[in-house]
This record gives sequence, C-alpha cells and structure tokens, in this order.
Amino acid sequence: MNVSKDSSNLERGIKRSTREVFISTATWVASTALLTFGPQKWWDYDGLATGFAIGVNLLAGAMMLFAFFRLLKRMDELQRQTHLEAMALTLGVTMIFTVIYGSLPTVHLLSESHPTNTLFVMGITYILSVAGLWAARTSE
Amino acid sequence: MKNKLKVLRAERDWTQADLACQLDVTRQTINAIEKGKYDPSLPLAFKIAEVFGIPIEQIFSPANGESGP
Repeated sequence: MNVSKDSSNLERGIKRSTREVFISTATWVASTALLTFGPQKWWDYDGLATGFAIGVNLLAGAMMLFAFFRLLKRMDELQRQTHLEAMALTLGVTMIFTVIYGSLPTVHLLSESHPTNTLFVMGITYILSVAGLWAARTSE
Repeated sequence: MKNKLKVLRAERDWTQADLACQLDVTRQTINAIEKGKYDPSLPLAFKIAEVFGIPIEQIFSPANGESGP
C-alpha cells in the first residue's frame, strides 16, 4: 500500500499559511518603517499623516497576528505543541531579560536602554526554542 | 504511554509517511509517537485506532508506573 502523495493536505495547508505569515509580516515591517521614518523624511511630522501611518501599522499588525493564528491551527498537534511551548519559553525569557535590561540604566551599568532590543531577544529565543524542542522530539 | 504503532505499521507494510498521510499529521509526529517521545491527543489516538481497524486499547497501554484504566 502506498498512500503517500507528492504533498499532503497538511503540507499544502502549512505552506499556504506560511506564505500568508511571510507576506503579512513583510507588510507589517514595511508599515513599521513607514511609521518610523515617514514623519521626518516624507511628511514633516504632519499629525494626520502620522495618524494614518499608525492606523496602517495597527492593521498590518492585526493581519500578521491572524495569519499566525491560522498557521498554528493548520499545524499538526506535535508542531502546535512545539510552537506553544516555544512561546511559553519566549515569554519567560523576555520577561526576565526586560526586567534586567530595563534596570541597567538605573544601576548605572548602561547609559540608556532601548525597548526595541527586547524584540531581538524574543525572536532569537523563539527560533532557538522551536528548533531545539522539535529536534529533541523528532530526532531519528 | 507505550504503543504498538511500529509493529502494526510493519504488519501492513506501511511507511511512516503512509500512516502520516492517512492521519493528516507529519511523518515526524508518527516517528515521535513510535519512539515514545510524544503521546498523541485522544482524538488522534482514536483516529489511529480507526485507521488500523482495532480498539484503541490494543494499540496504547500505560507505561510502567502509569496507572491503567
């Protein structure tokens, strides 16, 4: 018996959802760049234009979140559990890092802290967690 | 939890990919279940029983130290 197909429903669904996540994330990054650089470079801090850029950024962010939810729902249960555990790890690590990093200027170990650096910690922790947990469970 | 997935699969001459495709999960998930690294959810366990055409308790059993039904 050979029931394998070139690409299963699961794989096709995940590929489609991953593409949606990629496109929506790219849109969100582009809208974030617009919001960050637009006021100074393109519309001279016009309030209406900045408000519009914030609206676009919020909408793109919401689209990215929903795309990621759809991807999570399309995953099989082991993939979903791996990602949920990675999210829990990421939440914990980010919380600990944020508290320590945020207090560094107060204790004069750093001149200033940038909240956006937390995003790098989140991203790296999430990627490493997913890779580590998946490898631990699926190693041959 | 112990399981006889590998034996049942071998009896039918199915690959992990064959079974994964029937259950709509990844091949890695089948591998993780067979190796005892992952216990499937109840719905997936029932689906596995349905695919093999035997009762769920003939596939899965409690591991040593786990309480049985």
